Amino acid sequence: MGAMKKGVSLTIDAVCKSYGDVQVLKRIALDIEGGKALTLLGPSGCGKSTLLRIIAGFVRADAGDVRLDGQSILPVPPNRRETAMVFQSYTLFPHMSVIDNVTFGLKMRQVGRSQALQRAAEALEMVKLSHLADRYPSQLSGGQMQRVALARALVTEPRILLLDEPFGALDKNLREEMQVELRKLQTSLGVTSVCVTHDQQEAMVISDYIAVMNDGQVAQFGTPLDIYDTPQSEFVARFMGGSNIVRADVIKTQESRCALQVGDGRAFQAYAGASAMVSERKAVALAIKPRALQIMDMPPEGAHVNGCMTVSGVVSNQVLLGDSIAYEISLPDGNSLLAEVARDRGTGIHPVGKSVWLYAPGEACVVLEDGINA
Amino acid sequence: MHDTLAISRRNALWGLVPALIVLLLFFSAFGIFFLSSLQASGEAGGLTMAHYARYLGSPSERDVLWRTLWISTELTLGSLIIGYPMAYVIVRSASSGWRRFLMLSLVVTFLSGTVTRAYAWLIILGNSGLINTFLRKTGFTDAPVHLIYNETGVFISLLHFVLPFFVLTMMAPLKNISRSLEDAAVNLGASRWRSFFLVTLPLSVPGIVAASSLTFAVALSSFLFPLVLGGGRVRMAANAIYELIFTRFDLPLASAGATVFLVLSLFFVWVFGMLQRAVQLGPSVRQQ
Repeated sequence: MGAMKKGVSLTIDAVCKSYGDVQVLKRIALDIEGGKALTLLGPSGCGKSTLLRIIAGFVRADAGDVRLDGQSILPVPPNRRETAMVFQSYTLFPHMSVIDNVTFGLKMRQVGRSQALQRAAEALEMVKLSHLADRYPSQLSGGQMQRVALARALVTEPRILLLDEPFGALDKNLREEMQVELRKLQTSLGVTSVCVTHDQQEAMVISDYIAVMNDGQVAQFGTPLDIYDTPQSEFVARFMGGSNIVRADVIKTQESRCALQVGDGRAFQAYAGASAMVSERKAVALAIKPRALQIMDMPPEGAHVNGCMTVSGVVSNQVLLGDSIAYEISLPDGNSLLAEVARDRGTGIHPVGKSVWLYAPGEACVVLEDGINA
Repeated sequence: MHDTLAISRRNALWGLVPALIVLLLFFSAFGIFFLSSLQASGEAGGLTMAHYARYLGSPSERDVLWRTLWISTELTLGSLIIGYPMAYVIVRSASSGWRRFLMLSLVVTFLSGTVTRAYAWLIILGNSGLINTFLRKTGFTDAPVHLIYNETGVFISLLHFVLPFFVLTMMAPLKNISRSLEDAAVNLGASRWRSFFLVTLPLSVPGIVAASSLTFAVALSSFLFPLVLGGGRVRMAANAIYELIFTRFDLPLASAGATVFLVLSLFFVWVFGMLQRAVQLGPSVRQQ
């Protein structure tokens, strides 16, 4: 691929967009360094695709700015922006062979035919499709089309690579394979990229940063692990999946520290981000991963449960997952919690109807900024 | 088991009878025409090719055939030049106002009666009609510009008549070309124009062939507009055949002319069909 220019930094500065009365983007601001992969993650209608199309130049922003390496690209027409987009529908030109598709962007840039062919060959090599250069798109499988689309985008050495639900149309195994491959390519080429997806798993695999979007706003921005481990809001906790949302009472406040209690359990200290403002509230919502919960037959006593969230409940359902068992535990207040417990051959299975105690380390219980207000 | 199948098959064949009767009724008209074109005149009877020889030997009849083909070709090209952009705008325009205006003007044209329209064109194009009045008032001309009772008037009114056939046929193929293909081309560095010429236009060629073939067929069979706006001076094939029957009472010659014209029309339908298959099978299968 030759020496690719070092990735450019991307700044999205207070971008707004409305369609009629509907505000699709509300002062979006994001900033990522060159060569990093950003994923805009959110449910459909959250504005993520609109933002991507604003970067590509297909949609005009009402206000705000988009800068590459500090230079605004909004005045630049879309065909001069040197962004390269991979569309969900691949959008390969059906009347052109694979090699003509891949050289299209180079032809538009007045690259000579022989040089264009050589660069296209390299790009196809990169996506492992050299042997299909003379085929037509209708003769390719979905995964192959996706690779061609990727090669067609990368061969132009774009300043920024844009991906719009790139793997949405692929089946699960192929999708996972392509995600890993894309991630490898992206890091080895060092091209700054922005990907739009609604699949949180995909976002985890392919990103350096994730911006979770909801209703035209960035609900949370951070590294994939940040967002997975410490969601700030109920929306993010639910969207990232696999979290229990539990109500906890604030029982004692002391400066910035405070004690929480879930149901009839013991007092404990939970993980609270700077903006969670626990001390001003009477009750908070906690996000707890099912795998962080442990189940005990007896009331949790002793040193090993110090600082742990504890609560009693009754097993209401169990699902065997092979390596682990997922229990649904009904709490006295009527809510239920999901606990996923690793299984050894020796351990028994808690039967439905059994009274048990749940506990989780305090730092695994994340105080959310919103949720329960009391 | 076997019997019931046979019976149901026989019943299914009976179901074809109504359709066959209707088709035969239509086809019998052609059959009678064709027969009379072969009948020798006089008491002797028998079959003869003399009428065909008379028809094809007549320079004026041959001229009418060529005129008809030529005008139809012009009309098809005119429809392509005006109709393609129209269809494109209707399909792609972001403004629903534009879209509705164009669609409405097309559909109103399409549904209003041909006789009404022919006379409307007489009024618009006539020597003291709308256009000539305008030209005189603005001082462009002193003498009226002759727009009717010649090929110009026939062409204008016929173009107005065949245009909706072209546009309405062209819309579906254009709609089937995904807009994101054009976006992709632009994203890869093509200007809007280049993306149109390199992507949209080539992909719409099968649609162009289909729409042109329909337009050409409709144009070939024009009768009323040449009759009204040609004023007897511009004759297309259908008018000439009509004249042979009703003013010269030469039914065999008219029949011979009609048969020749039918064969010619079918030939062009076949040519367009071949063309369509060629462009549709086109590049994507070339490999296999």
